[in-house]
Amino acid sequence: MNHLSPFFALLFQDGRASTALESIKHPDLSKFLVIAAILFIIGVAGVLTRRNIIVIFMSIELILNAANLNFIAFSRYLQDTGGANPLSGQVFTVFIIVVAAAEAAIGLGIVIALYRNRETIWVDEIDIMKW
Amino acid sequence: MILSGWESVFFWVFSIAAILAGLLTVMARNAVHSALFLISSLVSVAALFILLGAEFIAGVQILVYVGGVMVLFLFVIMLVNVGAEEEGRAAIFNRPPQVIAALVFLALLAGVLVIYVIPKGARALQEPGKQQQAAKAREASEQKLQTGATGVSRLTKETERVGTSLYTYAALPFEIASVLLLVAIIGSVMLARTLKQEIAADDVDPDVLKTSASEGESVES
Repeated sequence: MNHLSPFFALLFQDGRASTALESIKHPDLSKFLVIAAILFIIGVAGVLTRRNIIVIFMSIELILNAANLNFIAFSRYLQDTGGANPLSGQVFTVFIIVVAAAEAAIGLGIVIALYRNRETIWVDEIDIMKW
Repeated sequence: MILSGWESVFFWVFSIAAILAGLLTVMARNAVHSALFLISSLVSVAALFILLGAEFIAGVQILVYVGGVMVLFLFVIMLVNVGAEEEGRAAIFNRPPQVIAALVFLALLAGVLVIYVIPKGARALQEPGKQQQAAKAREASEQKLQTGATGVSRLTKETERVGTSLYTYAALPFEIASVLLLVAIIGSVMLARTLKQEIAADDVDPDVLKTSASEGESVES
């Protein structure tokens, strides 16, 4: 990857070229947090912009998954730095997966009932409770 | 926690795959395509879990999400009619002002998180000497592990430790989670019943029965 360093030297005028290359070659905790943040933002964008309620549920799964990635990354960080009870992050992730499965089952049951009664899955047409 | 060598290559491959698949999940016109892209995003995140040393969670993610939840999603997509969206006769996004407002604020949030908050927090957490030491200790303890049947890989104690943690620190929440799943099963069955099935179970309000009969709907089973 060393042939890329002139590019980073252009990108960062001062002496940060080598540190940027180093952080790409050796990703640490913050890279995992950045990936999780981007996945979270994509999920929220899906919830806020899509009309199809099923795709909105899928975006919620994406958000929960980003939270899981955060928990696992911090669990590994605590294992490496010797925190107290470092596996609690993984235990928490198991519970998030359980809640996500329950939420998907209930939500999709509601979608089925809604489609049977209203013949629509567009969230902008499901406005029966709007005053 | 510092990855190096092939681990960092796999990290970049799987994280870029997860983000691209996530974007395509949100942007795909066909809901079935959305579900398939979400599956590939979840599998990429499971690979990141393995990189982080959480093999058990990666397995649970594949089995529960990809094997269970996504199949449920695909069934429901097949049950509802989304033809108008697929054929381009209906918009897939909300009205433009809503979309623009949402994207502007999310871009602000993403920028602040990625450029300012996370690097600042990570700098505060950095203890280089301690991390190198911990990485060396981890490497050494991994060398001491028993080899598997093939003689190539090593058997980690990760899952055992997660199980111990789950049943000691989180025994009560574990039981509550099982009750939650039971409630979810019963609730989704109740929600998804048809009127005919409710009548067959003799579980319907007589008034509802009267109105649906007067509307000319055939409710006799």
